[in-house]
Amino acid sequence: MSTTDDGDALPGIPNVGKADLDAMVEEERPDPRDELADVEADTDLGIAMAEDAQRVARGELTGDEYWEKYDEAAADEFGAAYRETPNPAVDAGDQTVSTETAESLSCTVGSMDAVSTEAAQVEGDGSEGGIGAGDEKWGMVIDLQKCVGCDSCTVACKSENRTPPGVSYNVVMEEEHGEFPNVTRTNVPRPCMQCDNPPCVQVCPVSATYKMDDGVVNIDYDRCIGCRYCNIACPYGARYFDFGGDYDDEVDGAGEVTSPEYGVDRGPREDGESPIGNIRKCSFCTHRLERGEEPACVETCIGDARNMGDLDDPDSDVAKMADSSRAFQLKEDEGTDPNVYYLK
Amino acid sequence: MATQSSHFEFAPGFEDGRLRIVWYAFVAVLVAGGAYATYLRLTRGMASTNLTSVVPWGAWVAFYIYFVGLSAGAFLVSTLANVFDVGAMHRIDRDALFAAIVSMAVALLFVWIDLGRMERMYYPFVWRQLTSALSWEVHAYVAYIGILVAELYFSMRIDLARLATRLDGTRATLYRLLALGRVDTSDASAAFDERWLKRVGIVGIPLAIFMVHGGTGVLFAVSKARPYWNSGLFPVIFIVSALLSGTALVMMIYVLRTRLFDGDAVDRDLLDQLAQLLLGFILVDAALTAIEALIAFTSFHPHAVETWLVVLFGEMSWSFWWFIVGASWVFPLVLLSKRSWRRTPSVMVLAGLSTVVGVVAVRFNIVIPAQITPVLEGLPHGSYFPTPVEWGTSIGIIGVGFLLYTVGAELLPLTPLSGGDHE
Repeated sequence: MSTTDDGDALPGIPNVGKADLDAMVEEERPDPRDELADVEADTDLGIAMAEDAQRVARGELTGDEYWEKYDEAAADEFGAAYRETPNPAVDAGDQTVSTETAESLSCTVGSMDAVSTEAAQVEGDGSEGGIGAGDEKWGMVIDLQKCVGCDSCTVACKSENRTPPGVSYNVVMEEEHGEFPNVTRTNVPRPCMQCDNPPCVQVCPVSATYKMDDGVVNIDYDRCIGCRYCNIACPYGARYFDFGGDYDDEVDGAGEVTSPEYGVDRGPREDGESPIGNIRKCSFCTHRLERGEEPACVETCIGDARNMGDLDDPDSDVAKMADSSRAFQLKEDEGTDPNVYYLK
Repeated sequence: MATQSSHFEFAPGFEDGRLRIVWYAFVAVLVAGGAYATYLRLTRGMASTNLTSVVPWGAWVAFYIYFVGLSAGAFLVSTLANVFDVGAMHRIDRDALFAAIVSMAVALLFVWIDLGRMERMYYPFVWRQLTSALSWEVHAYVAYIGILVAELYFSMRIDLARLATRLDGTRATLYRLLALGRVDTSDASAAFDERWLKRVGIVGIPLAIFMVHGGTGVLFAVSKARPYWNSGLFPVIFIVSALLSGTALVMMIYVLRTRLFDGDAVDRDLLDQLAQLLLGFILVDAALTAIEALIAFTSFHPHAVETWLVVLFGEMSWSFWWFIVGASWVFPLVLLSKRSWRRTPSVMVLAGLSTVVGVVAVRFNIVIPAQITPVLEGLPHGSYFPTPVEWGTSIGIIGVGFLLYTVGAELLPLTPLSGGDHE
């Protein structure tokens, strides 16, 4: 690896030429023929499609021309899987397929967002009931042996859900036991437990909080009167009142960016508008689950301590973990039967 | 009855004009201060309070359960006359009922200002949740206010009718309206009113005990997340301290209104009866509280024990020892201990006032301590003291209560024209 010095490099910052970087990438690139040898599909077709796809990217070929060229071969090779999988994005520019061509080729099209959801549903239509199929009972298993107490779940949750000051759906409770030098420390991350028998639902005078079929306890911000009875009733301290604060002092326009809670995006925070004056809580990142993604805290966990999945599916990882002898729930004797399990 | 026609003068209200001005000026200051604090609460939202997600219920909830208790207690005292026919009590049943109505109005104002979204106050009637004690409560309060108004109506109707026929002008019209046009003053109509007074009262007793104030206790007791509240004895203590504060209030109002409004002599036998009632309630309240503490300590449930330690020796212990033990138990007990003191109006006003103020601390000590100890080890400890906005709105709402009571007492025949013995 050579370094070029064109004279205006900043001190202490390595000045690597673009060509060098490209060469590095090329060096690392696997041989296409080797890669495709492991795949059942036709290797030659794969290489041809890949090379033409690069032409599409360079603008030497349009998306329509590309798909017309390979439609027949791809249909022969992949059959129903090819026909049923939607082709992403009609409106994203030249590199994609136009609606007319898509129709003439009888393949469905959609935006990237729609495609990911549909793909998840296609996957879920099978007997195994994958993420997004809508027949799950969501559960989380947190392995306390793997938790390092870094609090990144708390941070990921705040940034994903844009929670205001004083509202933290996910916190890490830290306990220190013993006396120096015989000290142990336990970190217990605490999202909403999404109880099977939720006391918060029981006590709400206006039915604003309720349990969804997928096991997630939801709040209807348009119905909540802000009496905070659920806050009192929750044995896990997992409910937070939205006093209307924001981070505008720290970040300009902090209230402008929002997160769709329970799949509903309420736009920028405004005085007197829900969820200000309402109770808020962790939603297991329902909006992400609906897209086939894991909750932000699960995705970010550096120790891989958090696991998300379908408790109704006995073959799922979380169901097996929740069934293990290491598994326990917080405050089991309350009878709340939480869908968050811990491994000791 | 006939004796009244010869010298018929009906002028309830302050005997002393100067006292009236002073009193209304005092109430005006309270209400004006409260209005400003309410303005701050409305514009700044719940951020104007010291409430947090750790301590979500504070002064407003404490005052709310206080006034619900005051109301239930005063109502139950009124039933001594209306249902159980304790002779001398007829003198005070309207006062007790009217104070109960005003207390409920004040209590509901406290619930209202405490809502995060005040404009949705009617939602509990739109969407119900059968398992929610609070949902049942809201309905019970409405039914209970209906009972109170009906009771006061049947208790006062015959006097309203007498006044409507014997007075002229706007007052006569007002009384005719309040009597709902039933201006018959015959014995038969009086008997009808008395019959219905009793019937409504009989329905009202279980409603007041089990639904309104017992139910308010249930509201807390069902919360198993807070072992300090989660006991079967809790709703019972609620009722007993309601009777305590209600009796004290009625006793105080009886003396003050008789002296300041009617210019009459206080019936010392009646005063002694009320005082003995109060004495009994204080003893039961103290005993039940001690039992409750004993059960909590012997359970060794860490949350319950820690919460009681906060109450007895923690940051709020001053309110327990000075206000609950001192003002609502020991001091009135001393004043009530001697028969001659029990028959002295000024001493009994002092005993009543001490109890009424002391029970406020009982309510604060119910609401706050259970939220100080975290529900899970590792979560933050709570700490709470009301902000000036919370104190201001609370004093303002109490001022509204004073205003409602005084206006009512100046207009309505709260003292029976016949002297209160129901013939």
